[in-house]
Amino acid sequence: MLHPSPFSSLPIPSIYIHIPFCKQKCNYCDFVSYARKEDLIDDYVEALIKDISSQFSNLYFPLSTIYFGGGTPTLLKPKHFEKILKALESRKLKADSRAQEVSIEANPGTVSLEFLKKLHNIGINRLSLGAQSFNDKYLKYLGRIHNSKQIYQAFENAKEAGFENINLDLIFAIPGQTLEEWKEDLAEALSLKPEHLSTYNLQIEEGTPLWGNTKSEILNPKQIPISKSKIINEDLDANMYELTIETLTSVGFKHYEISNFAKPGFECQHNINYWKMGNWLGIGAGAHSHVNGKHWENTSNVEEYIGSGGVRRNGCRLAPDVSHDLPAGRQGATDQRETLFMGLRLLDGINKAHFIGFEKEIVELKQQGLLEESGDNIRLTKKGLFLGNLVFEKFV
Amino acid sequence: MLDKIRNFSIIAHIDHGKSTLADRILEFTNTISKRAMKAQVLDNMDIERERGITIKAQAVRIEYNGYILNLIDTPGHVDFSYEVSRSLAACEGALLIIDATQGIEAQTLANSYLAMQNNLTIIPVINKIDLPNAEVDKVLEEIKNVFGYTKEEVILTSAKEGIGIKEVLDAIIARVPPPKGNKDASLQALIFDSHFDVYRGVVSYIRIVNGSIKIGTKIRMMGTGSDYELLEVGTLCLGLFKKDTLSAGEVGYMIAGVKNVRECRVGDTVTEAKNPAKEALAGYKPIKPMVYCGIYPVNSGDFEHLQDSFDKLQLNDAALFYEKETSTALGFGFRCGFLGLLHLEIIQERLEREYNLDLIATAPNVIYQINFRNKKPIFIDNPADFPNPSDIESIEEPFCKLTIFTPSEYVGPLMGITTDKRGQFKGMEYLDPTRVMLSYEIPLSELISEYHDQMKSVSRGYASMDYELIGYKVSDLVKMDILLNSEPVDALSTIVHRDKAHYVGKRLAEKLKEVIPKHQFTIPIQASIGSKIIARETISALRKDVLAKCYGGDVTRKRKLLEKQKEGKKRMKHIGSVDVPQEAFMAVLKLSE
Repeated sequence: MLHPSPFSSLPIPSIYIHIPFCKQKCNYCDFVSYARKEDLIDDYVEALIKDISSQFSNLYFPLSTIYFGGGTPTLLKPKHFEKILKALESRKLKADSRAQEVSIEANPGTVSLEFLKKLHNIGINRLSLGAQSFNDKYLKYLGRIHNSKQIYQAFENAKEAGFENINLDLIFAIPGQTLEEWKEDLAEALSLKPEHLSTYNLQIEEGTPLWGNTKSEILNPKQIPISKSKIINEDLDANMYELTIETLTSVGFKHYEISNFAKPGFECQHNINYWKMGNWLGIGAGAHSHVNGKHWENTSNVEEYIGSGGVRRNGCRLAPDVSHDLPAGRQGATDQRETLFMGLRLLDGINKAHFIGFEKEIVELKQQGLLEESGDNIRLTKKGLFLGNLVFEKFV
Repeated sequence: MLDKIRNFSIIAHIDHGKSTLADRILEFTNTISKRAMKAQVLDNMDIERERGITIKAQAVRIEYNGYILNLIDTPGHVDFSYEVSRSLAACEGALLIIDATQGIEAQTLANSYLAMQNNLTIIPVINKIDLPNAEVDKVLEEIKNVFGYTKEEVILTSAKEGIGIKEVLDAIIARVPPPKGNKDASLQALIFDSHFDVYRGVVSYIRIVNGSIKIGTKIRMMGTGSDYELLEVGTLCLGLFKKDTLSAGEVGYMIAGVKNVRECRVGDTVTEAKNPAKEALAGYKPIKPMVYCGIYPVNSGDFEHLQDSFDKLQLNDAALFYEKETSTALGFGFRCGFLGLLHLEIIQERLEREYNLDLIATAPNVIYQINFRNKKPIFIDNPADFPNPSDIESIEEPFCKLTIFTPSEYVGPLMGITTDKRGQFKGMEYLDPTRVMLSYEIPLSELISEYHDQMKSVSRGYASMDYELIGYKVSDLVKMDILLNSEPVDALSTIVHRDKAHYVGKRLAEKLKEVIPKHQFTIPIQASIGSKIIARETISALRKDVLAKCYGGDVTRKRKLLEKQKEGKKRMKHIGSVDVPQEAFMAVLKLSE
């Protein structure tokens, strides 16, 4: 028996729920999120629930992870989460399968002790705090609505509310930032004793206020006063990354994905499912799904999403089916390529069997010292971690 | 019959409104209806319309008040002055358009000299008189000082507003002499342009000087000596209009089954094979490319496609020169000759756009004459062919007479940049109290490296220039090589004046460091003269290049980023183990940036 269910679908173990609301857009953010639309929240939650109902009627969900991302999910009220989780619970097939990992992204400026207690009580068991920096100068530059004090407070509240799996998001390579300052950020983060740390170097994306100031001359109403000379060069970026790896692994964190570190047993199962190109369903405006080799993306327009009653019939557009570009007979190879460039992000690498057809690339990348074998797996070397794109681009 | 024909051109400095005036004339005479009018109908290549310039000459027959006016349009850019000269050879008169807000500019003068050399009657026209900053009186004064035309002889127009169009047409009839010629004499027809039609072969644009032609006539090209049978003749009126005959004084086209533009040379004389004319008409100086560069496909597999594309482009462009060459760094490609930088850019753009090729063009250079101690001089059009310096007695390079027109306040900075470019000051003349004409002698090689941009920048766009080749002169030149990762890259070699070698070497190495991406290994960049290293830079090894963030399951986005990066690399040329982008080969032209 292929599937333990009457449905003609592979199991979908992960659900992502997108909450596209923010008090204020951060200066670097180009995710689907909107400021000053909070009055739509009630309608939006209704739409999410309708969306869930329509999806669940024909798919099989032995759910093991649920992830509330944003935006700022913590702009919703506890009752909203309760409703959404109830909708998911009621449709789950296995009675005993309470999702093991229910994560929520939280902005440190939005979480009171009482609020966090309620979230914890309704079954949310992993909190991902968007700390980004402990230096108020850079928090301001990034356009965060909180200061460093609020991070400590939020963390303390989370602990007191009962969260035992807390992640901190940190950003490095911020224009003007020194290696010393990043070292201090890491030390501050470690002093809180989180179970998980995600560290990203700042990407300055086109169309964001940061881009307007640093990369082009186009005037931007929200220009940030940082001079071009302060943009972090790749050398310092590399030093910061190296420092991150050394610092975190020396205190017992496992470096399990390019940007992610966890205390043993606290790896983020939801994200691991992405990297392994498992099936996941995205609910909400702008959410992405990957089911049985197909990708699709919901409309990023909140009003449209609400208007369509949450049903992704008209509102969604399928992601361009890249397999059409491949010569006949190679269709389906798309997913192999994605499996490779996503899976290699994990430090354990992926099983050799996945690399069939890429023997030449593997030899070349091994010669360049970017890939290595480890047991039955092929994985990035230390050098490969720093130069991952040179590896990944061979598989697109 | 002849006294009812007027053949005329419009000449002007670029942007003075030539094409717009031509449009209005066509409209006014109902040659084309307003409705069918696209702006600048005579510019029918995409690139012409986009850049707002005319590249190919075009001809159109206009009927007005019982007269036949043949308008032959001319390009305004200095690169294409040969096109101007051949158009003018087919005319008896020319409208000289001068912008009321700009006054006389460098090519106003250059083009009017060409017209005078062809004994054309010139009708001066001041255009754009409707603009608020028009200075009609001042321009009238300039015209009087420079050309000697009185106020009464000048026609005032606004092509945009349709003012003065009738006056222009009446002046053409009244002042331009009708063509002379004898329709009973032996056939002499001048080919002034041609284009290639996929179905009909070469369509030649001709001006009949003596005699007449009709379908079936056996013709002979006097220059090449080859004979053809005429398949079709007719007039040009925004399209080809068949006629039975064309005779002395008329302008039109002929089709004779010629498969190749080269066999139907522009400037050649067509005569009748049975009864040939005693002598050919005075043609014009054969076109000589002045600027050369290498053009290579990024993917070596595209070489044949590139060759086909050149063959097709040349059908329409007699000035384009190309021959196969091999570069150690770039593989198989072509050494190409152009009239100037604009011509080069246009050809490159057409190859990339119309023929969908990814190309590497090397920095343009001129033709050098190398004199040896004990053998005959040679000409080289590629720095890679530079002979062993110990054999060289002297090197000569082409010099130009450079004329600059400028408001007087920019004289200082213009003199500064021109002297830096090894220009030798020859004179300065005031056209009026605020406008100055500067004359220089300057090496062509300096003119083609950033000079035009610098001139525009120091004069805030107000100065204009024109140049003509005056001959070769000895200069103290050396060949500078560039080594990437210790390997010489022939396509980056350049010939520079000895006094500037250190500056050029240093800046070029710096520029290359900027444009060549980091690799997994350190790449030294060296500039050398002979075995002596004169400048060095190092591209440090790439240490980090990895997407950090996973955008909430958006795999497609990640994939697109990686694809973009991969595409970018595909457009680079692999030289040894180094990926070199197209900009690197042009870096020597952008040293001052």
